[in-house]
Amino acid sequence: MIAFTNVNKTYANGTTALNNINLSIEQGEFVAVIGLSGAGKSTLIRCINRMHDISDGQLLVDGVDTAKLKGKQIRRFRRRIGMIFQSFNLVTRATVINNVLVSLVPDMPLWQRVTGIFTRNQKLKALEALEKVGILDKAFVRVDQLSGGQQQRVALARTLAQSPDIILADEPIASLDPVTAKLVMDDFKRINQDMNISVIMNIHHVEIALEYADRIIGIRQGEVVFDGRAAEVTKDVLSYIYGGKMEEAAASAEERARHVR
Amino acid sequence: MMTVERQLQASPRRIWYRLAITLIAIILIGWSVGAVSFKDVNQSGFQIALNIWKGIVHPDLDLLFNVSKQSILYLLVQTFAIAFLGTIVGGILSVPLAFLAASNVVPRPVAWLTRLLLIVIRTIPELVYGLMLIKVTSPGPFAGVLTIGITSIGMLAKLYVDAIEELDVKVLESMTSIGCTTFEKIRYGIMPQLLSVFLSVTIYRFDMNMREASILGLVGAGGIGAPLIFAMNSYKWSQAGSILIGLVILILLIELLSNKMRAKLVKG
Amino acid sequence: MYDKLFPPKPIVLPSGKNVYQKRTRLPLIVLILIVAIYYSVQLTEFNLHKLVNRIGEFFVLFDEMIPPNWSSWHELTGALLDTLQMSLLGSLLGSLLAVPFAVAASSNVVRSRVIVALFKTILSLLRTLPTLVTALIATFVFGLGPMAGVVAITLFTVSYVGKLLYEQIENADMGPFEAMESLGMTRVQAFRNAVFPQVLPGYLSTSLFCFEGNVRHAAILGYVGAGGIGLLIKEDIGWRDYPSVGMIILALVVTVYLIETVSEHFRKKLI
Repeated sequence: MIAFTNVNKTYANGTTALNNINLSIEQGEFVAVIGLSGAGKSTLIRCINRMHDISDGQLLVDGVDTAKLKGKQIRRFRRRIGMIFQSFNLVTRATVINNVLVSLVPDMPLWQRVTGIFTRNQKLKALEALEKVGILDKAFVRVDQLSGGQQQRVALARTLAQSPDIILADEPIASLDPVTAKLVMDDFKRINQDMNISVIMNIHHVEIALEYADRIIGIRQGEVVFDGRAAEVTKDVLSYIYGGKMEEAAASAEERARHVR
Repeated sequence: MMTVERQLQASPRRIWYRLAITLIAIILIGWSVGAVSFKDVNQSGFQIALNIWKGIVHPDLDLLFNVSKQSILYLLVQTFAIAFLGTIVGGILSVPLAFLAASNVVPRPVAWLTRLLLIVIRTIPELVYGLMLIKVTSPGPFAGVLTIGITSIGMLAKLYVDAIEELDVKVLESMTSIGCTTFEKIRYGIMPQLLSVFLSVTIYRFDMNMREASILGLVGAGGIGAPLIFAMNSYKWSQAGSILIGLVILILLIELLSNKMRAKLVKG
Repeated sequence: MYDKLFPPKPIVLPSGKNVYQKRTRLPLIVLILIVAIYYSVQLTEFNLHKLVNRIGEFFVLFDEMIPPNWSSWHELTGALLDTLQMSLLGSLLGSLLAVPFAVAASSNVVRSRVIVALFKTILSLLRTLPTLVTALIATFVFGLGPMAGVVAITLFTVSYVGKLLYEQIENADMGPFEAMESLGMTRVQAFRNAVFPQVLPGYLSTSLFCFEGNVRHAAILGYVGAGGIGLLIKEDIGWRDYPSVGMIILALVVTVYLIETVSEHFRKKLI
């Protein structure tokens, strides 16, 4: 369970990114965070695995007070939280399996970490993760020869190999074409349901968010302005979340929807 | 209307610019033609050219194939060894210099100073290094290895720097999220990116170093160069021919091999 | 071959699927490297101990070059200008000569396989010859002096620019070429109008880059009597006149730096 209690986050330059956030996310939920660019979505997600520090309040992840963690504790804490990025963030010159194996590195003994020699069991684990996202056949191919959608799946497999309880996804489909985006979203949904991993995802595509997520959190200027089931999201709610810019958002959403079909 | 006017104003300046460049180029070319002189070309020059050709067509095969310490085969292998070891020495020396010259690793002034140093290192002619290093090691192939090592630095470090500056650092963010330490990030995030580029560049340089190593003999730094120059200076064209043939075959073979290896590194 | 000797290792997943991992070639590569290094060390009398002990000598020589002998400036300029003249003319002639060679070596322009193979071979043979050796041969034919240097640099430039140019021509988009042939142009006309504009910036840039390198190469050609500053270097080192050597190096560094900066400026504009 992730619990935000009165969480504030102010950047060094004085901008307030998060303002008095109170949230509670149960294990196994699929949450989509929506809002304008710069509303604080990214910051919200990155606070959960301490990529950002919170300025004020309390953030508990499965009972662990994240603000109190230090150095090695932070790294151990992050082992249980996977993260997916918009730009995949893979080593493109390395093979697929080596990219997945990286997520096992922090748990290895020193000699293995230095030499980069992996055991059969570790390779098995990586291959299983690749099988779950359906790109087992690409295991020994170099990443730079894969398409964007395949690369995002490698990233997903890398996260799965970590056996996380929570997956944070920062705009995972923003650099994919609509069809591939759906496939990747299907992977997220399956992982969420079959393995009971919580998924917390920032996403620009409102209609996709409504289709896949159980719960929608709307963020506007660092504040949670909506929190409810996907079915409860109405046009008014969206126009409030996107504060005035709704017409624009709706138009672009419509256009995107047309491309999907 | 605006754009048309702007275009009108912009065009004359371009013409003057082009005219100036063309003029400078013509003057430079005209000046350089002064280097042409056929006054020393005479009957003997033509005769020598013919002799050289004869020597290459009728090489001294015995010299090419016998296996003693003075044989061409031995000296070719030695040239290879000089280029090979020299490339490794140069590669090792270039890595720290490359990091010191990468503007995304060190502060700008440091990078600029290192770059200046690299230009100086690159500009000093190979033979000058050879002559200086002979004072360190006494004449012999060891001096050749060091010379090749130092002359490789200029190009290797420059190309290494390009690779370092093109590093994809986004992968490091994802490794932070996995819980990796700084060491692990370097080992698994940066090294795999750099290694294949560094290797490919180094193999390319080895290919070039074969050519460089083949003239080091001129200053007594080992390899095939000494007997080649000696044979030519004493007009023993059949000997020179056999040496040249051996050298050309060896260099071609290495170029072929190096192209294959680099293609493999690029395509994975 | 390697894959047959050491067949790919199957990894069985719990789900029953088989994945084949190719055997890593790393041990073989490491073995070859170690053997090659061992024998190279033997052959070249490489001696780390000696190096560490005596590397100071190298810097002693550098130390003697500082301060450089400023007054040698006068005798130096003439030789330096000779070097520049040689490399400029050599680069110019070489890049011009490279064009017909490169066109004849491009498989998408010339239909005859034999001609293409012949010109490719000529270019790679030319490239294997060290410039200093060509320069020495040229001194026998053209006499001592800059002319020999020009010939050597020209030959090198032909081989270098020629190779890069035919690669560019072969990679050029042939669509326009076909279109122009279909308009009724001859192959030469089509080449002039379709391929030439595509490769021109690359060709000019390569030629400029080659010129930069040639200035540095030309600096040593004097060593075999092919004119330019190399002769001065040889003499000054022979006389152990290190301050003068220092002056030559300084002049070279400044000249090369200037030329590289200017040339880089134009190369960036071209691409």
